[in-house]
Amino acid sequence: MNFAELIERLTENTQNSLPLFSPELCLVVTIVALLFVRLLGIDRHLPGSIVAIIGTVAGLALAALQWRDFHADDTVTSVPLFTGLLVYDPFTVFFRVFLLLFLLFVEYLTMISGIPDQEDAPDFYVLLLGSTLGMSLMVSANHLLMVFLAVEMTSVPSYAMVGFLKGRRLSSEASLKYVVYGAGAAGVMLYGISLLAGLLGTAHLPAMGAALVEFGRQHSSFGDPAVRTLAFGILMVLVGVAFKLSAFPFHFWCPDAFEGAPAEVGGFLSVASKGAAFALLVRFCLALVGKTAGDSPLSHLYLNVGVGLGVMAAVTTTFGNLAAYTQKNIKRLMAYSTIAHAGYMLMAVAAMMVILNAPAGDGTLVTARTASAVSCIQGLLYYLVVYFFMNLSVFAIVALVRNQTYSEEIADYAGLVKQSPLLAVCLLVSMFSLVGMPPMGGFVGKFMVFYGVLEAAQLHPVMWVVFVVGLLNTAFSLFYYLRVLRNVFISPLPEGARPVDVPLASDGGRYILFLTLPVLVLGIFVDPISGVARDVATWLFRG
Amino acid sequence: MPPADLNAYLFIAGVLFVCGVVCMATKRNAVGVLMGVELVLNGANLNFVAFARFTPLGLDGQVISLFVIVLAAAEAAIALAIALNFYNNHLTIDIDRADELKQ
Repeated sequence: MNFAELIERLTENTQNSLPLFSPELCLVVTIVALLFVRLLGIDRHLPGSIVAIIGTVAGLALAALQWRDFHADDTVTSVPLFTGLLVYDPFTVFFRVFLLLFLLFVEYLTMISGIPDQEDAPDFYVLLLGSTLGMSLMVSANHLLMVFLAVEMTSVPSYAMVGFLKGRRLSSEASLKYVVYGAGAAGVMLYGISLLAGLLGTAHLPAMGAALVEFGRQHSSFGDPAVRTLAFGILMVLVGVAFKLSAFPFHFWCPDAFEGAPAEVGGFLSVASKGAAFALLVRFCLALVGKTAGDSPLSHLYLNVGVGLGVMAAVTTTFGNLAAYTQKNIKRLMAYSTIAHAGYMLMAVAAMMVILNAPAGDGTLVTARTASAVSCIQGLLYYLVVYFFMNLSVFAIVALVRNQTYSEEIADYAGLVKQSPLLAVCLLVSMFSLVGMPPMGGFVGKFMVFYGVLEAAQLHPVMWVVFVVGLLNTAFSLFYYLRVLRNVFISPLPEGARPVDVPLASDGGRYILFLTLPVLVLGIFVDPISGVARDVATWLFRG
Repeated sequence: MPPADLNAYLFIAGVLFVCGVVCMATKRNAVGVLMGVELVLNGANLNFVAFARFTPLGLDGQVISLFVIVLAAAEAAIALAIALNFYNNHLTIDIDRADELKQ
């Protein structure tokens, strides 16, 4: 191929890719616009938050149009973008819509709660949009280079966002801890990526799947140094992802960062960053397995990865729930709750890996296996959608209460129900949903995930342990949420407490109600979203 | 002297990686920790360039290492800004003194 042909192919490829990449381009344009708004001093007349919201709505509309296209034509499976660096499929589009919608909610929350102030608003939204752009790349990454770039692109603006309140001691400490852990985890992840790319001779995820089958034929026993190196590489990449998920031994940053950061940033990091990291984890795991059940020569290695993830999930959940007991600061409590929920969701991915790679000797059909794996991913997606609403609702309530009482201590929530019944009831609904009580959405999400784990338990005994630990944890977690709710509903209003006045007719009241209603709706009308989740999961395995 | 083979490069990269991890784990100064991160990233970079020369990874490896160099610079810039912010509030960049956020 000569130079002219090469250029022609590149141009054609880029021209085909750009329209499918339009939601992200919209974010990029908004970021540039925000920088200009700041530079030219337009932000005195047109607040940065408005510019950011316009850009996000445009991006969301484009992503929604892509979603409609997929429904119109379900023969489309996946399209590689930019010579295969990214992939465009229903999974990508689902997460794009998820992330952009979440971004919109967070932007509106920051407008209501007044963090950041007028002066810093353009900078803050540049960081927020940049981070979301990174997450959006994370869910569509199809190449190890993009995996690393996207993870870094998500992390680097979040470090700055955690330390955004410049004069505060705790805020600066939180961001320092976050950046030190984050940079370390990214370094380890990159080394793992280099080992994988070198061993397999390619960094393109679909090509890696094929190369792994070939690799497995030559080196299959675990005693082989090449297989050990491969396992090391996989482990190191998983360290990077586990850091983003705040899964057990890599969770240290999470409580500190959440306590030091404003509640709005905490809410953003807990849902968006976690959702994107799960999408990336699913993509990476499926790239290893190659989307076929149980016939890879390296199945035993992947089975161990799955069981390892399951054990990690069980430990993460237990740790998060136990550590949440003694917390006095509500943001710190929610950070441990976030860790616990990352554990529940990780169980779904672990179950998927176990189901796909358990020895096929027991006669279960490959199609049945794939169907079970689809139901695991379906559960994960449903859980994420519910988590979006219930977790953001709690963080939004924390932000609104902070604006009036200047406190985030759980003790200062005493008697909240007498001051603002709306906030108290919404907090009750969201927290019961976080526990997983019917009829809230959290119950359905947990039910679907545990159902997947139960299916995996038929194939590997360790998954029974994971299943039981998960169930026990659901019961444990009730108590620390109840401690907050007891304070809100039963404790008497202390003398001289600062008033909390968030009526239904205010922006804040409507916003909280709007966030909490879906939590109930998702618990009662399961079919619409679970149908979408099932379609997306099925498409993911068909490709 | 015969030209160095792949293993020699991988060995050096491994040494860099371990030095970086040890540096990250033991340094008390925030800037020292960041230097450890740079060592880890450069260890990985050396791996990529060596694999580009000796395995079918080819040009991909070199391109990845270029991206990583740029990214490491961006990350260092943010990390130094955060360290400076920490210094402004605490008058030290000793990581062990960052202990006010505790349960």
